[in-house]
Amino acid sequence: MTTATKNISFNEALPALFGAQFSTGGWFTGREAALKQFLALGGIPTVKVEDWKYTNVVPFFKNDIQVTLPEVPEVTAAQLEATGLLLPDTYRLVLVNGVLQPHLSQLPPATQATVSKLSEAGSQPAVERYFHQSPKIAGFHFAQLNAALFNDGLFIEVKAKAQVEQPIQVVHLYLADQPRLFNPRHLVVVNEGASVQIVESAAGIGLTDNVVINSVTESIVSERAQLSQYQLQTGGSQLRFINQNLVEQKGKSLYNNYTFTLTDSDFVRNNLNISLNEERTETHMYGFYIAAGSQLIDNHTSVDHRMPHCESNELYRGVLMDKATGVFNGKIYVHEDAQKTNAFQQNNNLVISPDAAIYTKPQLEIFADDVKCSHGCTIGQVSDDALFYLRARGIGEAEARNLLVKAFAFDITAKVTIPAVRKQVEQIASQYLHA
Amino acid sequence: MSAEQDILQELAGREYEFGFETQIEMDIAPPGLNEDIIRFISAKKQEPEWLLEWRLKGFQLFQKLTMPNWQNFKLPEVDFQAVSYYAAPKNKVKYNSLDEVDPELLRTFEKLGIPLEEQKMLSGVAVDAVFDSISVATTFKAQLHELGIIFCSFGEAVQEHPELVKKYLGTVVPQSDNIYAALNSAVFSDGSFVYIPKGVRCPMELSTYFRINAKNTGQFERTLIIADDSSYVSYLEGCTAPMRDENQLHAAVVELIALDHAEIKYSTVQNWYPGDKDGKGGIYNFVTKRGICKGKSSKISWTQVETGSAITWKYPGVILQGDNSIGEFYSVAVTANKQVADTGTKMVHIGKNTKSRIISKGISAGHGHNTYRGLVKVGPNATNARNFTQCDSLLIGDRCGAHTFPYIESKNNTAMVEHEATTSKIGEDQVFYLNQRGIDNEQAVNMIVNGYAKEVLNQLPMEFAVEAQKLLSITLEGSVG
Repeated sequence: MTTATKNISFNEALPALFGAQFSTGGWFTGREAALKQFLALGGIPTVKVEDWKYTNVVPFFKNDIQVTLPEVPEVTAAQLEATGLLLPDTYRLVLVNGVLQPHLSQLPPATQATVSKLSEAGSQPAVERYFHQSPKIAGFHFAQLNAALFNDGLFIEVKAKAQVEQPIQVVHLYLADQPRLFNPRHLVVVNEGASVQIVESAAGIGLTDNVVINSVTESIVSERAQLSQYQLQTGGSQLRFINQNLVEQKGKSLYNNYTFTLTDSDFVRNNLNISLNEERTETHMYGFYIAAGSQLIDNHTSVDHRMPHCESNELYRGVLMDKATGVFNGKIYVHEDAQKTNAFQQNNNLVISPDAAIYTKPQLEIFADDVKCSHGCTIGQVSDDALFYLRARGIGEAEARNLLVKAFAFDITAKVTIPAVRKQVEQIASQYLHA
Repeated sequence: MSAEQDILQELAGREYEFGFETQIEMDIAPPGLNEDIIRFISAKKQEPEWLLEWRLKGFQLFQKLTMPNWQNFKLPEVDFQAVSYYAAPKNKVKYNSLDEVDPELLRTFEKLGIPLEEQKMLSGVAVDAVFDSISVATTFKAQLHELGIIFCSFGEAVQEHPELVKKYLGTVVPQSDNIYAALNSAVFSDGSFVYIPKGVRCPMELSTYFRINAKNTGQFERTLIIADDSSYVSYLEGCTAPMRDENQLHAAVVELIALDHAEIKYSTVQNWYPGDKDGKGGIYNFVTKRGICKGKSSKISWTQVETGSAITWKYPGVILQGDNSIGEFYSVAVTANKQVADTGTKMVHIGKNTKSRIISKGISAGHGHNTYRGLVKVGPNATNARNFTQCDSLLIGDRCGAHTFPYIESKNNTAMVEHEATTSKIGEDQVFYLNQRGIDNEQAVNMIVNGYAKEVLNQLPMEFAVEAQKLLSITLEGSVG
């Protein structure tokens, strides 16, 4: 194994490591170009890069971090069960260090969806057509890094008009005995008129050191298709997440994204980029985060309204405790021809502790005139009046506070359509709030 | 309809024509920027040694600083060496009577309802000596003097009140703030200086209008306003009449200082030449404006109506240092043709119980682009800080743009920060409603726009508000068909 010497930065050490491990093998031929692009963008972004203004990732890329291809240790069904993440009544895909484990998984019927390891999906027409093709991908540092270094991931293609009845739960498990960078890579294609719900959870097993997970998903929602994606970022004190989800929506499609960040992880950065490429699409984005301790939770979303008659709706809420930091950046971009756009965005933050900080930037860029766009953003506390009302009715202060915070989160959790997911989220949220 | 169209077309395509055949009494420094020029300016103005040093320091910083690249428009190349940094005194006489002035300009004056004598002053006609000697300005000056208010040109203030200038100059906008602020501090020509003594409520709106000797303050203006304990002042900058100027780049600096219980109200109406319909030749208005609520319970309020300039780039801000201090920002920015406005505010909450309120109304028409960029920052000690921000954009036409970049940073859990923004166009049903009542399209749009901007216009002093309303209509003339 190659270990970089202490005084070389991650960016400098990367080309040599890359040459030794990644330049050959696999069906993807764009690795070297991606590495070049990553370095051309300046490597690991510093706080001088606008998108990373409040989020300093440089300390997470100390030069003892391993970037080599991870091994894939055996995981038992008991270990999987012990994570407590498993949801009932779902199809289940279990990945260990980014690699699909068929013996732990329960695949949806092949008549409805094709599921395979990404490394074995090189000949699939959908992969050829969509993989690493998102128009904005060239500008994202970590997506380029991922393209250069990814080892494996999931390929899910839902057949045209297939209605996948049960949600597909994807459980990502990570095992490592040293600081390590994982680069899982996924492609989700939902064909015409199909519908599917995907729930993603992650956990570390027996981690002794912090690992960084730089995950990239490209999701294609075809004409009249429906895709719901849930990110349940729970557990995982030694996992640090950088997520990138690039979504392309075609005509009359529906896309829902739910991102719940209720984790012990000290750093989570979510990038959700949705591009509305054809007319009459509908998009909903819901997020809820609780940041405690010295956590840094950063949500960056962008919606590109490229065509007329599209609707997008975004609601993110967060609770900030202890010395935590929250970052929210929501961008709505309405292109010149996207008339009759309806775009709505809201970010509410509840700051509970005096040492917590919140940085929020709801951003609108509008080039068409016949649109309805609005955004709102608030930072505040639990209302004293509401607290008094509850206490006057014999409810203790702590309990009253919890009730109010729960009510604050309710607007988001109420949107969850899978009962088991909602139950899990509410349970974990109240654990954090009681702690 | 077609006849109406034609008129509208004509109005939309209307160009400012204004000859600059002037006999200027030559006292112009050669173009170029270097230490010698700065020494030359300083010597010309008979400045004390410390101010020269200060200017030179500004020049050094200017050389070190780089152009920003975060703005939401293409920054035009400015050749700083091609500018002449000293050109005074200028001969203002351009015409002998109003008959020689561009009739188009006169029509605009008429629409704005500007008195005849003022029209002459603005268009550069020689002003009647009799009018001048008994002008309102001289009367006002005497009255101000009695109250101990200092209101004079910056140059005068340096000579007569150096202790005040030295104490406050550059304390709100440091020379290193940005490259244009550094440039201004090196080469500033002149500007206004206001000092309101303790407990004095300035009885009138102070305005550059009335400051006779400062008619042409040039492109690098510097304004310093100090309101001592428990005083009040309302200051007006600019005017609604179209201001023409041969200087393309304007880089002014405005500093406001409010001490305990003081209040400063600063209103701007800016209607500089916006360039022709392709955006050529318009003014670049790159201004640094900032106020500090230094004392407790002080208040600073910015109101701006921005209709002119090819590029307007400024963020009048308030540093809320004193406990219980209040900062306000009200803005209407209109961009038509190829105009660009990247404007907004910064509210920095440092003291306890500080409040800020931001109301920004952007109107984009034609190919205009309007950006609101704001920062609301709540420091860890700003207990009970409160901010309310509302920024609305109105789009007229399908080739214009509206952008919002609000930065909100809070490090205090007792802070309450609200931000809301909307973007919409003028509703067809609203126009139809007015049409039905016999109001034509043009008028209807005017009424709607004025209603939309009312919250801000109401903040302006009375006569100004009336003029500003008319100004909005004129600027948007021809942008709806």
